[in-house]
Amino acid sequence: MRTTLAILILVLASAPLCAKEELVTLPQRDSVQLTIYNSADLTLVRERRTLSFKAGDNRLQFSWANTLIDPTSVDFQAVGEAARAALDVADTSYPAESHEMLIWTIRAKSAGSHVVEISYFTSGISWGAEYTGMVNTSEDVMHLTGFVTVTNNSGEDYEDASVRLVVGTIHMVERIVDLAQPKSREKIPPTEAPDMDELRKMERQFPAEKGAGGGAGGMVRRKDIEKGTLSEYYIYAVEGQETIPTGWSKRLQSFSIAGVPLKTVYRLEPAKFGPSFTKVLEFKNDEEHKLGKEPLPDGLIRLYRDQGQGRLGFMGALASKYIPKKEEVKINVGPDAECTLAIKRISLKKKDLGFRNNWLVGWTMVEEFEMEVKNFRSRAVDIEIHRTMQGDFDFESAEKFEIHDATTRKVVFTLDANASRKLRYTVTTRQGENARK
Amino acid sequence: MNKRLLLTLAFAAGVGSMIGILNPNPVEARIKLATLPDREAVVVRFDNPNVVMVEEERTISLQKGVNNVDFSWAGTNIDKGSIIFRPADPAAKVEILSTSYPPGEAALTWQIAATEPASIKFRLSYLMANIQRETDYRMLVSKDEQTCTFKHYFKIRNWSGGRFATADFVTRDGKKFEKGLENGEAKRVMVNSWDKVKLTKEYVYDITRNYEGKVMTDYVLKNAKDIGLGAIPLEYGKVRIYQDDGNGTTAFTGEDWGRFTPIGDDMRLNIGIAQDIKIEMKKMTNDVQNRRGNVYDTDEVDEYEIKNFKDNESVVTLVLRVDGEWEMKNDSANFESFERIDNETIKFKVKAPAKGTPIKLKFHYQRKNVW
Repeated sequence: MRTTLAILILVLASAPLCAKEELVTLPQRDSVQLTIYNSADLTLVRERRTLSFKAGDNRLQFSWANTLIDPTSVDFQAVGEAARAALDVADTSYPAESHEMLIWTIRAKSAGSHVVEISYFTSGISWGAEYTGMVNTSEDVMHLTGFVTVTNNSGEDYEDASVRLVVGTIHMVERIVDLAQPKSREKIPPTEAPDMDELRKMERQFPAEKGAGGGAGGMVRRKDIEKGTLSEYYIYAVEGQETIPTGWSKRLQSFSIAGVPLKTVYRLEPAKFGPSFTKVLEFKNDEEHKLGKEPLPDGLIRLYRDQGQGRLGFMGALASKYIPKKEEVKINVGPDAECTLAIKRISLKKKDLGFRNNWLVGWTMVEEFEMEVKNFRSRAVDIEIHRTMQGDFDFESAEKFEIHDATTRKVVFTLDANASRKLRYTVTTRQGENARK
Repeated sequence: MNKRLLLTLAFAAGVGSMIGILNPNPVEARIKLATLPDREAVVVRFDNPNVVMVEEERTISLQKGVNNVDFSWAGTNIDKGSIIFRPADPAAKVEILSTSYPPGEAALTWQIAATEPASIKFRLSYLMANIQRETDYRMLVSKDEQTCTFKHYFKIRNWSGGRFATADFVTRDGKKFEKGLENGEAKRVMVNSWDKVKLTKEYVYDITRNYEGKVMTDYVLKNAKDIGLGAIPLEYGKVRIYQDDGNGTTAFTGEDWGRFTPIGDDMRLNIGIAQDIKIEMKKMTNDVQNRRGNVYDTDEVDEYEIKNFKDNESVVTLVLRVDGEWEMKNDSANFESFERIDNETIKFKVKAPAKGTPIKLKFHYQRKNVW
């Protein structure tokens, strides 16, 4: 059996802890819930099992060999009023011979069956978001599809698990993977060559996932992913149950929204997009753009352009940070040789030279620049150019430059198809003792 | 509901061992009862300057309920995250429920739900590494160097591990050609040919291009309709230049890298040194003026003696540079025209008489506020 996580009820309850000849029963999991965080290597696992207890002390062994479970996080809870009234955790023992085992002594008031919940943190299960944007030919509308991919490298197979994904940054003081492997800091257990019998079983079970309900005509529909909030976090709950064997990843569609308005702007904005004049596709995570229902977790956004007849061409990709609701998204798809910018200094003059003891102590430089934007495309394009100056400067231009911040001026305009435009500006910089600030 | 038929879409590249009813290889041990839908309508796109995208169509027979379809690409360089799988007809009554990635395999499994048994055409797109592309040109210049035939070639080399029995290859400018391409194979195809393209020949002196001060011979092609081009942006690539020798054959006269040339821009190609034009530069004046403490101006005269040993008069372009603040003096002489390209750069055109009669370009300028 690949699954290495086991719960055993020790029948010979009076035997000493070190006894090896124990007769055990192996209660199955009734249900399991995974709450997976994306900001830390952390998953909260809650599993429920129905156990039979005898009156008095019952020893319950929980072991997790070759998994990445944090032993300090393992917790036992009785489920329901009756169970809580009947059961009491008398003590928890950590046997010396194993670091991957604990034994609870459960005191039961009377004999009976009860549902209990065992919860723990494990590392090795992660999830990530990815997005695919299909952009139309004129680059003004996009069909945006979001996906979540859950990857299980925890060493444990989770079958028919309900899955919740947490979006947000949680604070941790220690890494779960370190707590899981305190001695040797071992690596995550490698995925072993699968056992054929096990695989056959997996193949049989694999499609039998629950929850994707029957739709019209009996069609199994794609699972919904419900989005909710919790404090500073968002929780995505995947409908139904998922089986994710260790070593596997699974990708599910999170949303699919057609007709998201998209804007193309050519930008020279070194602070955000680097030193090149670059093509940026823009939209906003708000209602106006048919989005805004939830934040978009960080993930790779890949953009494809419709090449006609349903064919696609790759435009570019952006590793996006977390995008809150209402936030703007700007995807730099790189320089485009069909819309170019050249900036040159067309004159330089020095004036107001100041001397002390026959030595130059202050001067003022007047530099005139010319920017030429050429649009070789057969459609009009939006342009935004930022220029940043240093020191004590004056900026003058007949063009409509705006103040972006103390050192940056920007100009925004639309350039017609197959057109070019030259813009001039003058920067006067006071140097040495001429500088007033 | 739970169909055990696994359809395997194997990438046709050395993956035969992966397909079968029961594969004993433990690394690829998932049980696969496989049907192999043929690849149809394969398109390899070069739209993006950095990556290659492959699109293919496969008709898959689905049963009612949930079907598992495997796609594996062992030995090829497919970017797993870029794979897009969708019905070719968006109205098809199928839904892709999930994608699962098995451990240690270049493979995935789609779960596809169908309302009824049907053969559905799917379109599969992905980015593929190690398919190299290269553009090159061949230019056949007329004897009088007024026009040329300009041929555009596109070369693909396939190191991806995949093979394409037949595929449409689409260049960045949308030109399509159908070919087969084996792994390790390269193919070069002429995608465009333009006749009677007008060209301009220039003799250029520019020590940033030739530090020995030799005069270079350039051909300049404007990528515009009025000279016979202008249909597409011209990709970066090597241009090999041949000239009609007037005797029914051609001679190779040089080659250069042509930069990416959007429609409306110039492609400048250096074919070699113009041996019959000599330029010698002398500094005739270099005086300090107007000294103020540690600051001064200079008065400088540079003389460029140009000798054209050809039988015909030639126009020579001199690209000259002066740093800092400076201005040209009015007594500069012996040029046809000049253009201040930017603060540091000035371009003169000088008419050089035939048969070695020298002409001296006088470039008189004052540098200001030097320290």
